[in-house]
Amino acid sequence: MIDVTLQLARIIQAMPPVPASEVVTDTGQWWIGFILWCPLISLVLCGLCAACRVKSKLPAWITVFSLAISFVLTLLLASMDSPPERVELFKWINVHWDGGSFVANFAFYIDSLTILWMSFVTGLGALIALYASEYMEPDVGRGYSRFFAGISVFLFAMICLVMGDNLLMLYLGWEGVGFASYWLIGYYYQKPQAVAAAKKAFIVNRIGDLGLALAIYLIWSTFGTIQYNELISVLDAGTYSPVYENWSVQAIPYLLMLAAFGKSAQLPLYVWLPDAMEGPTPVSALIHAATMVTAGVYLVARMYPFFLLAPESLHVVAWVGGLTALLAATIGMAQYDIKRIFAYSTISQLGYMFLGLGVLTTYGAAYHVFTHAFFKAVLFLTCGAIMHGFAGQLDLRKISGLRRMKGWRIVSWTMFIGCLCLAGFPLTSGYFSKDAILAEAFVSHGPGFEVLGWIAIFTAFLTAYYTFRVWCRVCAGEVRYEPGDEHHGDDHDAETHGREFHPHAPRFAINIVLLLIAAGALLAAVPYFMGNEVEHATGGWVADMVNDSTAATGVPGHPEHPGTAAHGAEAHHGSILGMDPHVAMYSISACVGGLGLLLAFWLHLWRRQDADRLRSWLLSRFWTRWLPVAMENKWYVDEIYHAFIRAPLWLFGHIFYAIDRYIIDGLLVDGTARLPRLLARCFQPLQNGMLQSYAVTMAGGAVLIALLMLLMLQFFTGGSVS
Amino acid sequence: MSWLLILLPLLGSMVIIVSPGRLAKQLALVTSLVVLGVSVAAAVVFDGWGRGTWELTSSVEWVKEWGLVLQVGADSVSLILVLLTTFLMPLAILGSFNAIQSRTKEYYGWLLGLQAAMTGVFLAQDLVLFYVCFEFTLVPMFFIIAIWGSKNRAHASVKFLIYTFTGSLITLAGFLTLAWSYAQANGGVWSFEIAALTNHAASALSLHEQAWLLLALLIGFGVKVPLFPVHTWLPLAHTEAPTAGSVLLAGILLKLGTYGLYRFVLPMCPEAVVEWAPIVAILSIIGILYAALVCWVQTDVKKLVAYSSVSHLGFCVLGLFALNPMGVEGSILYMINHGLSTGALFFLIGMMYERYHTRDMGELGGLARTMPIWATFMVFFVLSSIGLPGLNGFVSEFLCLIAAFTAGGSGAYPGVLGPWYAAIAALGMVLAAMYLLIMVGKVVFGPTKATLRHDEQSGLPVDLTVREITVLVPLAVGCIVLGIQPDLVIDNTATAVADTLAVYQGIFEESMPGAAAFVETALPGGAR
Repeated sequence: MIDVTLQLARIIQAMPPVPASEVVTDTGQWWIGFILWCPLISLVLCGLCAACRVKSKLPAWITVFSLAISFVLTLLLASMDSPPERVELFKWINVHWDGGSFVANFAFYIDSLTILWMSFVTGLGALIALYASEYMEPDVGRGYSRFFAGISVFLFAMICLVMGDNLLMLYLGWEGVGFASYWLIGYYYQKPQAVAAAKKAFIVNRIGDLGLALAIYLIWSTFGTIQYNELISVLDAGTYSPVYENWSVQAIPYLLMLAAFGKSAQLPLYVWLPDAMEGPTPVSALIHAATMVTAGVYLVARMYPFFLLAPESLHVVAWVGGLTALLAATIGMAQYDIKRIFAYSTISQLGYMFLGLGVLTTYGAAYHVFTHAFFKAVLFLTCGAIMHGFAGQLDLRKISGLRRMKGWRIVSWTMFIGCLCLAGFPLTSGYFSKDAILAEAFVSHGPGFEVLGWIAIFTAFLTAYYTFRVWCRVCAGEVRYEPGDEHHGDDHDAETHGREFHPHAPRFAINIVLLLIAAGALLAAVPYFMGNEVEHATGGWVADMVNDSTAATGVPGHPEHPGTAAHGAEAHHGSILGMDPHVAMYSISACVGGLGLLLAFWLHLWRRQDADRLRSWLLSRFWTRWLPVAMENKWYVDEIYHAFIRAPLWLFGHIFYAIDRYIIDGLLVDGTARLPRLLARCFQPLQNGMLQSYAVTMAGGAVLIALLMLLMLQFFTGGSVS
Repeated sequence: MSWLLILLPLLGSMVIIVSPGRLAKQLALVTSLVVLGVSVAAAVVFDGWGRGTWELTSSVEWVKEWGLVLQVGADSVSLILVLLTTFLMPLAILGSFNAIQSRTKEYYGWLLGLQAAMTGVFLAQDLVLFYVCFEFTLVPMFFIIAIWGSKNRAHASVKFLIYTFTGSLITLAGFLTLAWSYAQANGGVWSFEIAALTNHAASALSLHEQAWLLLALLIGFGVKVPLFPVHTWLPLAHTEAPTAGSVLLAGILLKLGTYGLYRFVLPMCPEAVVEWAPIVAILSIIGILYAALVCWVQTDVKKLVAYSSVSHLGFCVLGLFALNPMGVEGSILYMINHGLSTGALFFLIGMMYERYHTRDMGELGGLARTMPIWATFMVFFVLSSIGLPGLNGFVSEFLCLIAAFTAGGSGAYPGVLGPWYAAIAALGMVLAAMYLLIMVGKVVFGPTKATLRHDEQSGLPVDLTVREITVLVPLAVGCIVLGIQPDLVIDNTATAVADTLAVYQGIFEESMPGAAAFVETALPGGAR
């Protein structure tokens, strides 16, 4: 019996000895694993709730509770202030052979960048789950468990992504969040648009994932490992030799970029994000604004040393970011669906983050991620409250004067706070984080970075305009509203049919979450003023968090990075209009933001008819017509993709299928199979039953054989002689 | 024990044929469960885990003068595939309980006969037994398709039989030539022992002879896998076969081909393989992309999954011909994973078909509302098939691709493939997501079609029965376990794989393709 047990143990146990990893695993910190396990437990419990058809809000409470535990544990981890460390959970994929191994385990790599990201991922996750407990109320007993299971899956994957200690674990989280996003966008699965949007999100993200996968292959073949700590030490020591001399190190950043642009919705892969708004609004707030879409920024920040190995790649990052910011802002200006406007604004703000990464301010990018998470979450959650109260109404032309309506005050003013931050109004959090990026665009040197800086400033103006366009239309002005036509999967019909529509104002859970996150959005400015650990450094707490991590490894002569040749000669420091960008940007961006804000108030609050007049003026002129039309139609990017990518592939599918059926199978296979029958048909006439013909055939055959033998004989003898 | 694994199912099928028909399915289930138990016991006493040795061996002399000795035994790779067979069989039988109502005795008899043949292929240690079992798998499958298949079954079954039979005849010719060459070299003493022949082939044959042997073997096994362009029997056979037939075809029978490649082609003709691997890899890459695009335009769900097998097995072959441990491990994992997830997809489609009698995506829609349990499983296995990390498909796909990618770099990772092979094959990942999610979008989600009628006559409730859930749960558990603990397979087969690949190390050391030369030749289509 013992033998049998031993045998079993041997089957289950890994056989080859695993080389002891030199990283210390602190067994005293087993609890760190629970940051990851909590959402998993919540997933399992929600699944059980779905199986048992629970008809209460139990799944919501389970999810909120477990995410809150994750958040508390994250704070605990943050408070310990320990140096970067690894925590092993269990083994995953290990292939060992003579002279090499491929190792990817379930393990955490915890440095300050991880903690920075985790703090808002788990915190906002818990709060938005709380919000959703009220928002998804109409679905209790139907999709409720499914929804919260999806949220748990998302948090699980996101935590893997952020905390994983190797690229494969990041990949797990990367695809995992994509899948969670698929699950939740397609939550209203009976709606064809929702299903299509979910599919599109997953497939477009898969293109990005392809880049990540190839980057992993290349990194592994070049550096022989995919663990962050080992990669960093190999990079530091410079002991790697590029396998493909000419291009391996150069290609890595571009592949990573493809991945980042897919997940973070940048050109050319941004098209999925606006459509993703088909999902329930808490999902849009959590996944498609605050957390998941910043994964691309995280990836670039985490892998920053690889970008520095091929510095030109950062120029590409900067330009793609800047252009995406501009493009999305122009589209956002011309949309009427408030959720879509904020979706385009998310794309635009993500563009800023990539611009920041490209101009060597990982700090600025990370800080903008941090502040953006709060204020964009607020904006989406207020949208959700409006949708919830007005039966799915999202058209900003059909709701007005919200702040004067009873019970909507919190929604309007938290939205106002969110708008201020997004517009970069002086002294709000968005102001500081955006300035850090804008200023650096003028400081850093790169191809056309100055133009890029002005593009970014112009975009800041557009941002302020479209943001307050929403607020002025929806929250200010005279009181007027029409209910929407969809009831986001619930049965409001009883309320609306037969009598007048009454919007129902949000209740406790929604309001408290709005207030908390709005407060967070305002307080996100505080870290900027917090003291730095290192003297002469600016940027406060976030800068410290970034500088202690891989995101700052090897950034040369970087102003936020004391220690290296700080700032270098002043001659290298760019300028804007002859002033120091860091100082000048405070006033420039304030002016630009103020202008945009005033324009929005003018066109959309004080003299709303002017906006319509402007539009019709533009439309009536042949030379300007294209502008509003193209902007309202999102520059036809979806149509272009459809025509140039999807349609040809689809055609190829049909052509290949035709080839398969008629040429390979029909002609070659069945044709070959018919050969014997054809052959038989040729000789059939010989069997005609006439004695004479048989005799003739026989004689002919004998002659033929004789001839053949003669020929062969000659051939063989000739062959042997020569 | 090895003989037991082969003979027990045969015995079971005899018993079923002589016993009353109403007991057939219960008897078949019990037999397959007993065999499963025996195989688990074999796995427990098996001593070869993590070692490259052959265990559980035994031999029966038949005609000794002609070298005809029937030998069985298992190394870790064989035993894992045997476990896959014995694991899928009870599920296939359980899954047929409702679908098969006519001639049940014969049906279950053939199924068990098929199991015996498949197990025999994996356990054979001499070519005679191997070949006999390899060919004998065709007979039960032929009848299963021809009798219990759907509309076009006659054509499908004949094509399946003739096509694969023709392929394996050429393999037989290759084997016989090899045995003859062995007898020549050993003074007229014939032997069909696989180990002896392998040694002989790898060491004594010239490159030219190895190339011919490779071609002969490749034709037979390539048809079975199936490799582009000899795949056209598969969509037809899969589509027309009854559910259990499709499951076993996809789950095990295709693996006979890849197992053959692993067991014979790689060790027997190493030098020829090094020469020809780029061609095989390019064929499998064409298969991956071509079949994926064909999947996209299918309207029949079952045909879509059938073509997806062609695409998926392309990854499997690509991993094998990367000729490094990651690739071969990935490929072995792929055999198992594909068996689990594609098998499950065929089960699910069968369950749906029994209720609605259609597989046309135009007629189906919104099944998530009517059959939530079915829909959950469907999405789960589709994700596994797409290769979502955390589930099984991902690990194997990843290993196959990274192996192909690195094979051919300078320094530590020799091989004859390279980054372009992996990069182009990896497009298959995107296409797989496309066609499978489009299918899910049409069938599972969307508005429920009003025209869709659940067939009351089928004797099945709207959503899955306990029996059907019992069929699916083990597969789902397998997907999760292998997704997070692939080490169960990798570690246990590592040494066996290393032994198989040992011969390649020598070849690569002799003629290391330099990095620069490599980049020139590894451009797409540039296999000279």
